[in-house]
Amino acid sequence: MVNFFKPKTWFAPPHPLIVQNREAFAKFDQSKPLTEYTFVVCDTELTGFDRKRDEIISIGAVLIRDLQIDLGTTFHQYIRPRNIEHTQATLIHRITPQQLAQAPPLAEVLPAFVEFAGNSLMVGHFLPLDMDFLNRAARKVLGGTLSNPGIDTMRLAQGYRRVLNGHFQDEEDRSCSYVLEDLAKEYHLPMFKAHDAFEDAMQTAYLFLFLLKKFRKGGLLTLKDIYQAGKVGNMWY
Amino acid sequence: MAIFKGNDVHVVAPDVAISFFKGIMPFNTLDAETLSDLARHCRIDFFPKGTRVLTADSTELTHLYLIQRGGVKAFLEDDNGEVTLKDFRGEGASVGALAIIRGTRANLNIETVEDTFCFLLPREIFLDLIEKQAGFAHYYLKSFSEKIVITAYSELRHHKVAPRSNEDLYLFSIRVGDLVKTLRKIAASATIQEAAAFMSEYRVGCLLVHDTIDEEEIVGIITDRDLRGKVVAAGLDYNEPVATIMNSPVQTVLSQSLCFDVLLKMMATGIHHLAVERGGRVIGVITSHDIMLLQGHSPYYLFREIRAQQQIAGLYPLAQKIPEVIRGLIGEGAKAGNITQMIAILNDHILGQMLTLLEKEMGPPPVPYCWLLLGSEGRREQTFKTDQDNAILYADPGDEAQKQAAEAYFAVFAAKAIDHLVNCGYPLCPGEIMATNPLWCQPFAVWTHYFDHWIAAPEPQELLNSIIFFDFRAGFGETMLAEELRAYLNRQIAGRDLFLFHLARHCMETRVPLSFFKNFIVEKDGEHKNRLDIKRQGLTPFVNFSRVLALKFGVKETNTLARLKALMEGEQIQGELWSAASEAYELQMQQRLVHQLRQIEAGILPDNHIDPADLSDLERRMLKDAFAVIERLYGVLERMYPVM
Repeated sequence: MVNFFKPKTWFAPPHPLIVQNREAFAKFDQSKPLTEYTFVVCDTELTGFDRKRDEIISIGAVLIRDLQIDLGTTFHQYIRPRNIEHTQATLIHRITPQQLAQAPPLAEVLPAFVEFAGNSLMVGHFLPLDMDFLNRAARKVLGGTLSNPGIDTMRLAQGYRRVLNGHFQDEEDRSCSYVLEDLAKEYHLPMFKAHDAFEDAMQTAYLFLFLLKKFRKGGLLTLKDIYQAGKVGNMWY
Repeated sequence: MAIFKGNDVHVVAPDVAISFFKGIMPFNTLDAETLSDLARHCRIDFFPKGTRVLTADSTELTHLYLIQRGGVKAFLEDDNGEVTLKDFRGEGASVGALAIIRGTRANLNIETVEDTFCFLLPREIFLDLIEKQAGFAHYYLKSFSEKIVITAYSELRHHKVAPRSNEDLYLFSIRVGDLVKTLRKIAASATIQEAAAFMSEYRVGCLLVHDTIDEEEIVGIITDRDLRGKVVAAGLDYNEPVATIMNSPVQTVLSQSLCFDVLLKMMATGIHHLAVERGGRVIGVITSHDIMLLQGHSPYYLFREIRAQQQIAGLYPLAQKIPEVIRGLIGEGAKAGNITQMIAILNDHILGQMLTLLEKEMGPPPVPYCWLLLGSEGRREQTFKTDQDNAILYADPGDEAQKQAAEAYFAVFAAKAIDHLVNCGYPLCPGEIMATNPLWCQPFAVWTHYFDHWIAAPEPQELLNSIIFFDFRAGFGETMLAEELRAYLNRQIAGRDLFLFHLARHCMETRVPLSFFKNFIVEKDGEHKNRLDIKRQGLTPFVNFSRVLALKFGVKETNTLARLKALMEGEQIQGELWSAASEAYELQMQQRLVHQLRQIEAGILPDNHIDPADLSDLERRMLKDAFAVIERLYGVLERMYPVM
């Protein structure tokens, strides 16, 4: 269950941040009330989805504590990719090449993000993708992966829909969209502009807050309850 | 490298909070730095529908709640569990302000009636704003203060009317006292020639005339035109004293009057030289020319063009210019009452000039007549391009031959006139309430029968159809005829309580859109679903109320604001109700004008259907207060005409 036994790298000892991060989650308790956890809702913008070639060019995140979005604790940083020519061709984001050229490299941004994530749970829409890129970067830069447990709001939304439709419906309704923007519209959430890591993180935070409190109103009070009822998948990525 | 913050001021605050605050009162008055700081201290919370947020007398407030999405209800519950609903609050509204300011626990129960997202502003920060920001305490402690009204108007102006490049108009910022030039005056005993020489020397077009002994006593005024008409053309001796040709007494305006009001007075009276008074002393003269120089696109300019037009077809394009002039006035901050008055004056002049030219073309009518304006035109409350509602009232013919001559003449006259009006851009009345309908082109005696009939036997449907006739006024022609008809009507109505009862009851049938929440009560079906009909639901109750009371108390005015004022002066309604009603009515008129202006500019046919989503937080709040006034008006009618 706990994944810091997985082999990371044999070449260098992990960065102190990673060690600290592992220790923080060594004895993770899922049974506390939801209000006692903090969550970091994050989103990354990538140059593309090719795991070999593509890179993170921006990370946006916002903190949720006491089940409230804390606008005073936010993270938003552009990252200079190694291959900037390749980037220009594939950009669909709102980031200009100039912004990227002036941005710090991943080696500077990632430690700050790990520090920002601290002892919080990671939350994201289709989180596995973000975590995959973040962890590959962390392995390279910090010599280890993040141990923060995660919650995927897409799985959470699927769980919520299952709860609304009754638990017995096994088949996923294929007609439902789980695209972030579509979910936000469906639940009448305030809308944010897409394809900006910070705005997407905010949008995800609204969705997460919405789902979490809907579950909570239904009597699911601990993190464990949420995982079980929502069948939100693996906690660790 | 500081790329995330604990309390790091370099991190930009989220746009979501800043743009939210910029959109709501009174936060929109804060500077960018303060807003950004506020935003960083905010949290966002979500309350699913049906969540109790605050409990009266129990919850301690740690935050001010500002509703971003959704809505709440505020209510009280007594010991028996009896619930009194106090209020609905929608997006942009706040919860908990009063309790925080007073340092008490929550004073109302608050429960979400929709899934609701709120911004939470820490109590200390809110209190700091209350203490340091001008207007904050005022906003939260007073609900319908003058300051807010002013802000509302300026908001309407700035956000709803797109700015134009050379919008350099001054009618509403300059007072005549600032325009008036050095006082030039001459003694009444001076000769005409002396006066003319004096005027030439100082290059002025008019001269005030003072009492021979008391120089402070202004007794008259002479203008270039008097010299031309009364002296040169008439061959008058230049050595006569100016007193023989002066206009007396002089019409005066106060120096603090706005140019706009002075212009209205000039256009309404036809007198273009007015003496300006300050502290009881005449300090100079203001002329229409002085005001005209202030601006190119002025109403006065259009007014002169209309008056000078000698071809009926030449009036068509002039009538089309009215919206442009009105736009300028809205842009300058004219209030709806003034604007509709200006529209009425301009429309009246188009009508007057057109009928004058038509009479020239057809020859004089066999009997005197008065062109009646009905409904909103009768009340001087047209906005843009209201349907025609008119009629002809002519003097009773002396014999059969004259009767037939009159019928024949006015039938042709009306047909031509209505045609021209259509060409000017005034659409036909779908209900055929126009002078071309033989029913509504009748001599005095027939009109009195009509009114007798409507008053004596009020059939609900018939009453409904006849209502617009009760707002008639003279548009052009023999004004006396209309005045006599009004006097007759008031005599007939006096004491006819059954008629007034039906009118009052009809008035109260219009529902008050009380459940003003983010959806109001809006039309449930049809084309304008989810829109508020601001005319029918918002304005008509005020119009109806004023009409019932005006008829009951014999008030001759037809304009709603004028009726309300007359009723207040006659002590038939309380001063406080008068000011609340006038304010609420005028604000909605403004709302409607701006709405229609925008439609015209977008090339859409203007209508009265406002989408609540287009309203700002403040506008909704103002409308909500306006609707509350309707309830009070109905209360007055209810007491006056109880069902039992």
